[in-house]
Amino acid sequence: MNKRAVFKSWWLPVLFALPQLLLILFFFYWPAISVFNWAFTLEPAFGGAGERLFVGFDNFRDVFADSEYWRSVSLSLFFAFTATGLSMFIAFILAICVDRQLKGSSLFRFFYIWPYAIAAPAVGLAFRFIFAPESGLIAVVNTWSPDLWNPAKYGSHAMILVIICFAWKWIGYNFIFMTAGLQSIPRSLLEASSMDGSGPVRRALDIQIPLLAPTLFFLLVLNLTESFVGPDTYGIVDLTTEGGPNKATDVMVYRIVSEAFRGLNYSGAAAQSLVLIGLIMVFTFIQFRFVERRVHYK
Amino acid sequence: MIERTPILNAVTYFIMILGLILILGPFWMIFTASTQSLQEVTAVPFNMTPGGDFLKNVHAAWDRANLGPALLNSLITSLLVMVGKIALAALSAFAIVYFKSPLRHVFFWMVFLTLMLPLEVRVIPTYNIASDVFQPVRWIIQTITGIELSLQWNLLNSYSGLVLPLIATATGTFLYRQFYMTLPDELAEAAKMDGARPLRFFIDILLPLSRTNMLALATIMFVYAWNQYLWPKLMTTDASYQTAMVAMRALVPSVNALPEWNVSMAGALIIMLPPLVVVAVLQRWFVRGLVSTEK
Amino acid sequence: MQGFGVKIGLAAGLLAAGFGATPAMAEKVKFEFWYGLSGDLGERVQDACKKFNDSQANFEIVCTSQNGYPETVQNAIAAYRAKKHPAVVQVFDGGTLDLMLSGAFVPAKKLMEDNGYKIDWSNYFPGIANYYATAKGELNSFPFNSSTAMFYYNVDAFTKAGIQGAPETWEDVEAAARKLKAAGYACPFGFSFDSWATVEQFSAIHNQPIATKNNGYDGLDAELTLNKTKLVDHLTFFKKMTDEGLFVVKTKQLGMDVVPAFTSETCQMIQSSIADHGTIGKTIKQGAKWDVTMLPVWKGTARQNSMVGGASLWVLNNRPEAEYKGAAAFLNFIAQPDMVEWWSTVTGYIPVTKTGFEAMKAKGFYDQPAFKGREKAIASLTFTPTSANTRGIRLGGFPQIRKEISDAMEGIFFGKLTVQAGLDQAVERGNVILRRFEKTYAGKVLN
Repeated sequence: MNKRAVFKSWWLPVLFALPQLLLILFFFYWPAISVFNWAFTLEPAFGGAGERLFVGFDNFRDVFADSEYWRSVSLSLFFAFTATGLSMFIAFILAICVDRQLKGSSLFRFFYIWPYAIAAPAVGLAFRFIFAPESGLIAVVNTWSPDLWNPAKYGSHAMILVIICFAWKWIGYNFIFMTAGLQSIPRSLLEASSMDGSGPVRRALDIQIPLLAPTLFFLLVLNLTESFVGPDTYGIVDLTTEGGPNKATDVMVYRIVSEAFRGLNYSGAAAQSLVLIGLIMVFTFIQFRFVERRVHYK
Repeated sequence: MIERTPILNAVTYFIMILGLILILGPFWMIFTASTQSLQEVTAVPFNMTPGGDFLKNVHAAWDRANLGPALLNSLITSLLVMVGKIALAALSAFAIVYFKSPLRHVFFWMVFLTLMLPLEVRVIPTYNIASDVFQPVRWIIQTITGIELSLQWNLLNSYSGLVLPLIATATGTFLYRQFYMTLPDELAEAAKMDGARPLRFFIDILLPLSRTNMLALATIMFVYAWNQYLWPKLMTTDASYQTAMVAMRALVPSVNALPEWNVSMAGALIIMLPPLVVVAVLQRWFVRGLVSTEK
Repeated sequence: MQGFGVKIGLAAGLLAAGFGATPAMAEKVKFEFWYGLSGDLGERVQDACKKFNDSQANFEIVCTSQNGYPETVQNAIAAYRAKKHPAVVQVFDGGTLDLMLSGAFVPAKKLMEDNGYKIDWSNYFPGIANYYATAKGELNSFPFNSSTAMFYYNVDAFTKAGIQGAPETWEDVEAAARKLKAAGYACPFGFSFDSWATVEQFSAIHNQPIATKNNGYDGLDAELTLNKTKLVDHLTFFKKMTDEGLFVVKTKQLGMDVVPAFTSETCQMIQSSIADHGTIGKTIKQGAKWDVTMLPVWKGTARQNSMVGGASLWVLNNRPEAEYKGAAAFLNFIAQPDMVEWWSTVTGYIPVTKTGFEAMKAKGFYDQPAFKGREKAIASLTFTPTSANTRGIRLGGFPQIRKEISDAMEGIFFGKLTVQAGLDQAVERGNVILRRFEKTYAGKVLN
């Protein structure tokens, strides 16, 4: 914000900013406020604003008293950490390899980015086929022994399936940022270290990871947030397991949307949304606090 | 020079090829499945060679998910989001950077805050607003003046409903702000000396300079909008406004309870192709767009 | 502050003018009808709409499938909130109370009276009408596609396994399943986690309650009781049979639902709606012998009438007056005897009126080989006069309660839940839904 503003006019900037201002007022701020309205009342399915009942914190109490809610929270956390870890690990290995700039590396890089172009529901549909119990890639294990793999039947298998979908899709994204980060590490540093006789693993641990730390941290927070509450998680779950079997993959985003639109419990869903908004604010706060600080180290 | 021992290189290639299989394997499976007949696609173990039924499967998927209108809807929505976002971002960043106005800090923070909550989190209230956009206006006017207005505007099942909530975030604005900040101050000073009005300066100088920026933003916005799922799913109950991503739900095998994965995959392939082409062909811009909006 | 509001209003008004488009006015009065049936049955609804449009020149009905019963209710609610709702909507049995208390509809009786149609309301089968009527017996909605759950079995497989006649008791089913298994059939009996057939219809014909307060008819404070009835033993039996491989779970998620499992001759016995009678006849291999019978009971149980399923047509309020004329005309049209007969023929749904049924019987409809057995659905529905447990189910949020029941069944048959623990879980979660519903509609009286 240290750019020198040159033009003086009070109405022109307002005019320029007005479209965006109106949009965020209508589609961001007002909804964010109105969620309070629902969270503290009981909204009938067919509406009827006049008859709304103010119920205080009842909706929140109901949410917190529901063991299913807590199960959903822990499922979401498990999903978020596992998927993030898996995705970032694979992306990191690939980024390190590509960064060695061997002949043909750029071709590999070209393809590694692809998964990010694919929408989450499409990833879900494709992997649902690839990991289907009766056909596709994995079905062969069921010929050895029936139901060795069946995500429609076993909650743990269903969870593995959604984790794989998310991790695969985000490899592309993580890879992009990691290669960008690695490229900014001075070659001379690696060369010097190599001349000192340290091998590739040593170099990764001593030089690349520490220097990549801000990027890695940024990706970590972003992946966690995205997998915890992001649209991709919803799309994947909706196209693969629909939260089942017996709610084994009923993660928070999926739960909120199905409570509201399938369960017609707008108020409970609004209360859950508010809790989620609170959580994201914490996430974002951490991101700014720590990432910003890390960036200053450089 | 970093060592290039043959063994190390071989290991690197080995890992990279494994990675390639991991990344391209699913694409290849989607493709081969989409070319096979029902018998072939349900064979265990799966046969990785293409069959000859591609067109037949595409045709079946096209009918089942009503892909013609759906793809058109997706295209219209994505282009509108793309154009809308660029226009809004360029304009509002201009207002933030180049004008001395007491409101600009307020505005900056208002936009900035929108980065925090993705649409999915506020989807329920946003849906409520979309069904009655002027609800807040009516409420404000009524509490102040006591007049009850009958102003109504409903966004459900309309292109504006598909597009506007997606534009109401700050991603592009920051990209543009960043870009304007890198331009030398002298540019605007000189333009001012020559007597250029702000609007002239914006159109004649800033816009042409930001072409690269625009392309980068365009690619990521296109992919972003095309791949939207939850919002279009909730707000289009009218099949004629369904986007391709929503239509894909009809491709989950269950209709005749035959595991027609060949048809599913043929449909999925068509639906995921446009963003894939953008990312593959315009990769340079896409990557640039991504890296610069996120940082 | 005032200026601020006005400014937004003006700008938004301009935007609205730019985006809003007025539809061209057609000569005929158009109105919308949303329905939940899909696939083969959905296409039959389209045929009905076409027949109506061809029959007269004043109205045009636009029929749209929402691909599923729960989806139809969800979408209708969304559209109603947005004031873009259809004039007529098909709502399944489970959504009845949600609609009744919504205050969002025009009662069937009022609609027809206002538009000058005379309907003999007593002509509806009482078992059907009770589900959709007020306490005074006045219909809120029009019974349209009515069905009940039946038992289908593959006669060819029975003959091969040496089984005589239709199973009448669950003991018979077990014996048949063992013989079928011995004869090499991998799936003697296929079942899904559909609460309607396995839980609700079972409870009705065994005269077991689903919930207190006469299944909710006597008040919003009803509580689920299905974890304390014969249902527990019944599901324990299912679980035992499943463990022995005699009963097999067939669901959409597993790749094949019960009806396709039956028509592909994968499973030799299933329980499903009579509505599938038409579809099964059309899709099963030509020449295959199969039959339908009433759902079995446990030996020594006095059989009660089964409950009506399917859906009824609701007319939503706040539409232009002209559309109601069209809606009334359409509802009158599909209630005509020849339409009732046509609809019953091409689907498997039962005729909803006594005269319709008698006319079809007199014509020898049920003696035709393709339709033989469908009269058993009426027999099942009218087996005894309705009791407090078989009149219907009047619980709020029942679609979600059904979901809880099928989730619990997933836990029982796929997971580690015992039958009792599973049903307890369904009851506990279901009661939460009931209490919330009660609170949301506090002060409203069931009439």
